[in-house]
Amino acid sequence: MTAVVLRRTPLRRLGDLARADVLAAAGLVILVLIVLAALLAPWLAPFPDDGGAATHPAEALLPPGAGHWFGTDQVGRDVLSRVLYGARTSLFIAAAVLVVSAVAGVALGVVAGYAGGWARDVIMRVTDVFLAFPALLLSLALAVVLQPSVTTVIVAIAVTWWPWYARLTSSVAASVANRGFVDSARCLGVPAPVIVFRHVLPNSLTPVLVQLSLDGGGVILTAAALSYLGLGAHEPTAEWGLMVEQGQTLFTTDWWVVTFPGLAILVTAFAFNVLGEGLRAALDPHRRPR
Amino acid sequence: MIRYLAHRLGQAALVVAGVIALTFVVTRLVPGDPAVAYAGPKASAAELAAARARFGLDDAPPVQLLNYVRDLFSGDWGTSLHTRQPVAHDLATAFPASLELVGTALIMAVVVGIPLGGLAARYRGRGPDLTVRVSSVLAVSVPVFWLALAVQTVFASNLAWFPVAGEYDNALDTTSPLHVYTNITVVDAAITGNWPILASTLGHLVLPALVVAAYPAGLIAQMTRAALIEEAGQDHTRLARALGFGETSVLTRFALRPALNPVLSLIALVFAYAVVNGFLVEAVFNWPGLGRYAADSIRSLDTPAIAGVTLLVALLYVLANLVVDLLHGVIDPRARTR
Amino acid sequence: MRWHKGLAALTAAGSVALTAAACGGGQVRGTQSTPQAGSAGGAANATFVYVPNLDVVTDWDPATSYSNEIIAMENIYESLTRYDPQAKKAEPRLATSWTSSGDGKTWTFTLRPGATFHTGKPVDAAAVKASVERTKKEAGGPAYIWDSVQSVKAVNPTTVEFKLKYATPLDLVASSDYGAYVYDTTAAADLKKWFGEGHDAGSGPYTVDTWQKGRETELTLKAFDGYWGGWSGSRYKRVEFRVTPELTTAWQLLQRGEVNFVQRLNPQLFAQAGGQGAQTSQTPSFQNLLALFNTESGPLKDVRLRKAVQKAIDYDGLVAALKGSGVKASGLVPEGLLGHTPGRDPVQDLAGAESLLKEAGYGPGGKRLTLTMTYAQGDGDQQLLATLLGSALDKLNVKLEAKPLQWNTQWDQGKSPDASKRQDIFVMYWYPDYADAYSWFVNVFRGSDKPSFNLSYLKDAEVDSEIDSLPSLTATDTGAAEKAYADLQNRIIDERAAVAVLFTQNYQRAYAKGVQGYTDNPAYPNVVFVHDLTAGA
Repeated sequence: MTAVVLRRTPLRRLGDLARADVLAAAGLVILVLIVLAALLAPWLAPFPDDGGAATHPAEALLPPGAGHWFGTDQVGRDVLSRVLYGARTSLFIAAAVLVVSAVAGVALGVVAGYAGGWARDVIMRVTDVFLAFPALLLSLALAVVLQPSVTTVIVAIAVTWWPWYARLTSSVAASVANRGFVDSARCLGVPAPVIVFRHVLPNSLTPVLVQLSLDGGGVILTAAALSYLGLGAHEPTAEWGLMVEQGQTLFTTDWWVVTFPGLAILVTAFAFNVLGEGLRAALDPHRRPR
Repeated sequence: MIRYLAHRLGQAALVVAGVIALTFVVTRLVPGDPAVAYAGPKASAAELAAARARFGLDDAPPVQLLNYVRDLFSGDWGTSLHTRQPVAHDLATAFPASLELVGTALIMAVVVGIPLGGLAARYRGRGPDLTVRVSSVLAVSVPVFWLALAVQTVFASNLAWFPVAGEYDNALDTTSPLHVYTNITVVDAAITGNWPILASTLGHLVLPALVVAAYPAGLIAQMTRAALIEEAGQDHTRLARALGFGETSVLTRFALRPALNPVLSLIALVFAYAVVNGFLVEAVFNWPGLGRYAADSIRSLDTPAIAGVTLLVALLYVLANLVVDLLHGVIDPRARTR
Repeated sequence: MRWHKGLAALTAAGSVALTAAACGGGQVRGTQSTPQAGSAGGAANATFVYVPNLDVVTDWDPATSYSNEIIAMENIYESLTRYDPQAKKAEPRLATSWTSSGDGKTWTFTLRPGATFHTGKPVDAAAVKASVERTKKEAGGPAYIWDSVQSVKAVNPTTVEFKLKYATPLDLVASSDYGAYVYDTTAAADLKKWFGEGHDAGSGPYTVDTWQKGRETELTLKAFDGYWGGWSGSRYKRVEFRVTPELTTAWQLLQRGEVNFVQRLNPQLFAQAGGQGAQTSQTPSFQNLLALFNTESGPLKDVRLRKAVQKAIDYDGLVAALKGSGVKASGLVPEGLLGHTPGRDPVQDLAGAESLLKEAGYGPGGKRLTLTMTYAQGDGDQQLLATLLGSALDKLNVKLEAKPLQWNTQWDQGKSPDASKRQDIFVMYWYPDYADAYSWFVNVFRGSDKPSFNLSYLKDAEVDSEIDSLPSLTATDTGAAEKAYADLQNRIIDERAAVAVLFTQNYQRAYAKGVQGYTDNPAYPNVVFVHDLTAGA
């Protein structure tokens, strides 16, 4: 699989994908829009201060209307503004988790796959242990232990996510390490770090990228679940899971407080998932549950 | 086969050892004094000391780990700080309820997911395919806690089609008391012929099970579709097609059987996931299972209970993986050499 | 899952493990008594269904019980007196009258004739003596209420005499919601174990029928036929506790007529309940939310900054956002207790706060001040406070770092021996264990080297000695006690600015139309005295 992939640039492949898979292309467009919304939140939000510390108790729980398209929450903040600012929090968490777990996982995976032997055995047995926990469960246990904050969420999820990258990279690295050209490079006295950077890492890149886009949705959902349980972001941070938690007893009386942040989570996770599915379908037919 | 079995079991044992160690480490990291959680906020110094002694909190960590492992194997999973009962006992009552909910959800997921996956594969690239793909991705992308709240508000509160929460109507405990054998209410009600409780439980199951079923149903539909499309390209299905079978019967009569293998192993793996996802749903629907127990434990920083739930679900997951691998080993000899 | 509020968070536990109820095969779930076939009596055999949002029983032992089970215990057990918040004094219960010596150190109670325990034994002076002595000996959480008691003497079967080490209002102590129960100490050989199995030895109107921990219908009580108060009229003969954590669910159960009483709703649902045929009651509790300022270290060591934060708080905005689940507090002592001082309602004064900040070199244009605050995780009302206070302080160039924490983490940090690890503002609820405002002062504001609940770390010898004089003043001269309370609040709130009293919690109950005679007694949080009610149409 890697051999085929190597011949094309990622950009070309994305272009092919858009033509072949309408859904994946739609996911990409939605994702770009969400990223833009997050970046431009201070300019797009009708009440930018409401994304932060501002409150207006006198305007609490106004239904959606001309002034507030998504209504206002218990302390009178504009729900639309907070949903926009919430995109920043969620995307930041997702990016941080994915970067941390990919970096840690790829590093360990390369060591395991390239070095082999006992290093591989130890690293793989450790990943076995971490993979024995459903992702949300271990994150949950860790988040209970640490004090609730955005950092906690990132740490708790990254700890449960890195083994996937370690596994993925180790198998790619192992297959590359056994190829003829790597053997000859080794015989010519090319040092191991150079072989890793020149040959092993570039080959691992594509499957890792596919995995990253697939995992985006899972990370967003897990982070939202942790915040919903009160183990993540806290006031006055705008975070979708936390917004659902704060408004949940209002669902029958003031539906908008809960509905819009929930929809935001759904749409974002959806975009990540269809994009990831499309990439995977194009590049890798195997799948696994998380 | 014996060597494969021994190897696989050895591997599983190693994982279990690691899981126990990790659970232990996580629970020792809990901030604050567990003795305070146990003895209460206004406890005296003497009560705190007694609580510390009771839980062996003054021992050195390695001693605590040894004691922990010894106790686990003798069936003592510790005492819950919030229910004040043995954790093993709490889990034994809560787990069957979760099993009931997740089991029902998985049945729903299979019943809905496999036909939808087949439909999508049959009409690949056309309208039905796109619809199934969009809805199956939506199903795996929806935050369960939010879906649970929404479904509860609409179908239970506003429309009143289904009960709002709980496992069955409690008034039935007086009018037709239930004899408990398995602690799984539907099963007990069915084997003892307790129709009122059976009917009530089934009614209460619908909404939470639907919500828990969303994720596995989406996955199963996607997986079935992918496996069918792969099988449809294989030699034996092409032969069937050449013999003049129509596309629908090719898929259902020749491609479906082999395609179901990966789907079945997916179900085993998704089971443990659904249990954890069910945590969030149980809390909303007040379902007396592991999730509600876990939620209560988190609220009171109940370390032994959190450790117990974590361990139980992880062990379940290891077990499911083991069973799937062994079955594969039996069915497909190539798997043994991997 | 909008988890717990206030009391629940604090009252997490008692102190004794209960043995598990067996769950072997073939056991009948639900009631063990034969269902009353054809309860044609209608209202006469009515069941009162109470919806709590947390598990009911953690500790069945009346000596050590210190948690949510109070809602059941107060219907099973009785104490010598019962507090009346309207009269602000103790009323007869098992004791019909009492007298105290002039120095407040000898108290004599006359017992109600004819009262018996559920075990069949009479409630006599010897039983009162044995209960108090066992409760003291068990030394559980609430045992301290009897600390002042030197000795108890059964003068004759209906007269019991307490000798005290120091003057204390013992009639109030005897009305305590925890630890004051009179029970039959001879009910079983191993009493603790026997209680743990779900037995009771009280004298109250109801006795335990079934108890299944973890079930939705956790507990049912049945009428005790020999109750001294009798069963005239259409009283409820059974009580059922149906645990329902979700507020929305609780409200729907009430709407459908499946339950009679909901312990707590949110303000939105509460408003809806009032408009849709249910009865509602809103009563200020004895529980208030305190923001304790760190008077010992950190920036708030400067009294000007403490006063500035006091003035920055938007008390009215907070109460408005609470939509009725809280009322503005006038001082530390809630209404209905001796020592309550009207006319102390705080108001926001941003200009005043700004000038105090400026004086100290902070505020708009000055240095940026950062304050840390800790509060209870999962408590919606405290989260509202964090949001609103953060918003107000932000305008004054003060950054509030508000951290929600689990209670034992929050408390551990507050008690940290390393003063630099402590928070600047500690938010917590306080409530008295018996109807005496002394509880706030001795626990929260009396100086001590190792902090326990005095998390403003105030050390003021004058304040301490005035606090120490409170019990004997209350026991002997209530007028002087009132003055001492007023003076202490001036010192603690105004002069030392050690605390801001944010609001007093309101109990918002909703109950079915047919329920008659309900009044909320804040001295017994969440308790419904079911025997006092009658079932109407």
